[in-house]
Amino acid sequence: MPIKLQSILGLSFLLLGGCSQLHHVHIGDIDQSQGRLTPFTIEVNELGFDAAKAVEIGAGVAKSASTSEDLEFVALILAISNFGPKTGNPVYNDAYADQVLSEVIKVCPSKKITGLTSVREATNVGPVSGEVVRIKGYCIN
Amino acid sequence: MLKNTILFSLLALSLSGCVGLNTVSMTQIPAERENKITTASSSWNFIGINFSNAFVDEAIDNLKAQCPTGKIEGVYTKHQTTGYLLVFKREVIVSAYCNEV
Repeated sequence: MPIKLQSILGLSFLLLGGCSQLHHVHIGDIDQSQGRLTPFTIEVNELGFDAAKAVEIGAGVAKSASTSEDLEFVALILAISNFGPKTGNPVYNDAYADQVLSEVIKVCPSKKITGLTSVREATNVGPVSGEVVRIKGYCIN
Repeated sequence: MLKNTILFSLLALSLSGCVGLNTVSMTQIPAERENKITTASSSWNFIGINFSNAFVDEAIDNLKAQCPTGKIEGVYTKHQTTGYLLVFKREVIVSAYCNEV
């Protein structure tokens, strides 16, 4: 395959590769008996980075075969060192979702909340991702 | 040789599982469990390429529509993915109890 076509295909897969991923959904009780419901959404996100995938891409576009082989070896070491159970890409801040509780409490002036839905999802662009926690719910007015 | 390879591939395909259970969650189950409501929403994709997870919101709207003035309790949510060769179906299946107050 000509190198130009290969690069275009590679770039296309890089941009499209699993754009939106759904990891977890939890739907809570919904009380529609106490009055009108006003929806709200709280979303927090953090930058995720897959170093092994980044190096793999580097190996794919490297000009010399020896550089490509070296980078593939580095990618293997990175992949092995990050092997294990995980949800989404690794992030650099383990407390990014902690503010969700206080945000949810603040959002309803009536203090009555129902129908909380928790979603853990990610938006991926190649080795970089936005690791997202989304809370949707309703204020009872 | 080619015939054997095709047969072996078909056998392997028929033995492989095609449903992945992603998550399961459940809320407090009420004492009154007469009016059960269920809903499901799904999203299809090719080789795992998705652009939105909005099908989850669709399930919530369907659930609310089935119990417009009551309490939806005991919500059991199942998130699963089914593979049909290169095409995948992501699905949220929800069941709950609707109790009028």
